[in-house]
Amino acid sequence: MEPVESNSFVATDLSVSRRAFLKRTVGVLSGLVSAALAIPLIGTVIGPSFRAKRAKWVQVGDIGSLALGQPVNLKFPFKTEDAYLRETVIHNVWVIKHSSTEVTVYSPICPHLGCHYDWHPTQSEFICPCHGSVYAIDGKVLGGPAPRPLDTLPTRLEKEELFVEWEMFKVGIPEKIPE
Amino acid sequence: MPSGIVHWINERWPLNTVIRWSLDEEMPGGAGFAYVFGSSVLLIFLLQVVTGVWQLLYFVPTVDRGYDSLNYMRTEIPFGWLIHGLHYWGASAMIVLVGLHLSQAFIWGAYKHPRQLTWLIGVAQLLITLALGFTGPVLSWDERGYWEVEVGSGFAGLVPYLGSIARRLLQGGASLGQMTLSRFFFLHIAVLPGILIALIALHLVAFRHSGISGPWNEAKRKRIGYFWPDQVFLDALVITSIFVILAGLAAYIRAPFSGPLDLMQTFYVPKPEWYFLFLYQSLKAFPGRLEPVGTIGIPLIVILLLIFLPFIDRSPERNPIRRPVAMICYLIFVTWVITMAITGHFSKPGANVAATKAAAVVEPQTIPLSPVGPSSQISESSKRGAQLLNSLGCIGCHRVNGTGGVIGPELSPDVVRGKSPQWLTIQIRDPKAHYPNSIMPSFSSLSDGQINDIVDFLLTLAQGKQVPSGRAVAGPTLAPSPMPPSGPARVKVLGPQAPPGPASYIIGNVDLGEYLFKQNCEQCHGIEGKDKVQNPGSADGRVPPLNPIDPTLSDKEAQTFVNKIDPYIQHGSIPAGPNPVLHMLPFGDSKSLTQQMIANVEAYVLHLNGANRAQLVHPGMKPHLFFWLVVIVFGCAFGGFWVWKGRAR
Repeated sequence: MEPVESNSFVATDLSVSRRAFLKRTVGVLSGLVSAALAIPLIGTVIGPSFRAKRAKWVQVGDIGSLALGQPVNLKFPFKTEDAYLRETVIHNVWVIKHSSTEVTVYSPICPHLGCHYDWHPTQSEFICPCHGSVYAIDGKVLGGPAPRPLDTLPTRLEKEELFVEWEMFKVGIPEKIPE
Repeated sequence: MPSGIVHWINERWPLNTVIRWSLDEEMPGGAGFAYVFGSSVLLIFLLQVVTGVWQLLYFVPTVDRGYDSLNYMRTEIPFGWLIHGLHYWGASAMIVLVGLHLSQAFIWGAYKHPRQLTWLIGVAQLLITLALGFTGPVLSWDERGYWEVEVGSGFAGLVPYLGSIARRLLQGGASLGQMTLSRFFFLHIAVLPGILIALIALHLVAFRHSGISGPWNEAKRKRIGYFWPDQVFLDALVITSIFVILAGLAAYIRAPFSGPLDLMQTFYVPKPEWYFLFLYQSLKAFPGRLEPVGTIGIPLIVILLLIFLPFIDRSPERNPIRRPVAMICYLIFVTWVITMAITGHFSKPGANVAATKAAAVVEPQTIPLSPVGPSSQISESSKRGAQLLNSLGCIGCHRVNGTGGVIGPELSPDVVRGKSPQWLTIQIRDPKAHYPNSIMPSFSSLSDGQINDIVDFLLTLAQGKQVPSGRAVAGPTLAPSPMPPSGPARVKVLGPQAPPGPASYIIGNVDLGEYLFKQNCEQCHGIEGKDKVQNPGSADGRVPPLNPIDPTLSDKEAQTFVNKIDPYIQHGSIPAGPNPVLHMLPFGDSKSLTQQMIANVEAYVLHLNGANRAQLVHPGMKPHLFFWLVVIVFGCAFGGFWVWKGRAR
């Protein structure tokens, strides 16, 4: 028996095209709602993934008492900003004082694969314990797998107080590119 | 090709059978808008699951990180505001739709034979939905969420005999804390949704087994409609409209930032979510020992009535007109819920009228004169002294007769008694003579006459009975802060070059900040920070205004703005000038204000300057833009269908 189709909301005599109309409408509306929701869902998953890390100027310390021409490892408190976390960690940099107005500061991170290297005064060399990269006092690579010289960091001196722009660079490549 | 794949699947999995079972349903009486609510609830629940799970990308359920991680998502993640907003408004939508669905089932008599089991499962689903609505807001662990669970677990404690056990289980310990948050998280994201999904499956199977109850009028039942596509079409229209409404709500009315939890402050007025307001208001009829009747008894009776409804009302009659008792009970219930909810929303709770009035209009504090005797016994000099204590801002730091700040010692009779007029004079003119580390400003520029008046007032105080410091007539006072117990705070003013403190990255609440500002800041910075307070001895002669604030301190980025003003509040500041009487006190370092209080004050100061502490830093797309995009797209779709429908005739 033919069912008597009825829906006074959409009444037409052409039952086939009516069903097609209803199905098409449901399909389109579902698709649109899904697309509208997809935008924020994808947006939130991508989230902060591609944000550049901002460089920060930090106060490192007083260089007044430092000997000239000798690399010194200076430690300083650093306020990290990790999403919504704020933590004070201890960072360090290698500082070479040339005069009371001129310094060179190296990032302590080996450009090979990211280990922390050390200064060996007896050999007058920076040596990285992980894979044996060796650097001269001016940062040039003397040996080992390091792809580029030591990364210098921008500095600023206010009287004898040293400020450094802390930044991290990509490891393992010959170019010095910020992370 | 697709048909080949479908065929391959069908040989191995009953795909077509499942699809047919889902979609092929005969509906006696045809499809109708009355039947959309069930599907709507289901689809909104799906939205809640998706937006809820999505928030797990950012939210961490710990008491120290919960609030901050949620706010980070809401302000710094693209579309975080939208996901959270949809979830927040979706919860309200789900409860409204559940109510409508229940109403439709009740009015159509769809609980009667043979649909009793469908109804029972539905009641269980209702309770789980309300439980989800209760556990959800707690997770943000802000003022609103915390007090919700505090009150809720208090209710649990009122259950006779099992109360203390129930309360301990709910709290996860003797008091609220991490264990509470963890178990509410466990319930809200896993257990309750899991149970609800199972119940939904059972409900759908039971419902399909009996079919829709349909019209009670035999003639109307002769027309047949089909679930697919007739009813699904109506469902799609309704769901789409609900989605557009939710998008608008999420875009234009953000879920509130009720402020970080701070157990020290006592002036937040907790109220439950709107869907529990009817309970909240009804409880006021059951004070004292009757309380369990209201909290446990009444809801229990309502739930039992719902459960036993199909067995109490066994008559097969489904026409509402022929079921006057049922309809009247329904109307009474609905009226009760709505009236109580509206009353509860507008109620202003308070221990007494004075406190309530004061909470509504917080005026700058003034000291009432000492209650030693009738005011005629108090000398004119004393009265002038009391006025000076107000106008010079002394009560900004010192509590007198129950009114004032808590940075310095309270000027109670016990403290002042035994001090000679000479001692008091020196203390006012040069506090460091007595206390070298004092942060009390030296009021050396006051005239002898003024000093005399103040000393007279203090001596009058000394003669008085001890005034209990408590809720003063002038307004609710700050809860005592964890201060060094006696003497002026020996806290050095480090100045604004010291770094911002933890308050700088907590998003505070503007209203709480306004209240705190009136208590602690107005004496020096003026009403609403608009200045006009003198600072003799400073370079420019006055306290800097905060509204508008010095342009070098403000910034269009909320976080930068806060980072600039926070050091002043944390570490204090001494203004330039030969001998400033007033200086900014180190509220953070001296612990006179908690970090949460400072965060609230900062939110208010930003608000005064037209900035929003809860600014959308990375919205992804501006909210109103997203909403109008949705409206235009769906408007075009609806318009297109309307035209197409016209042409199809």
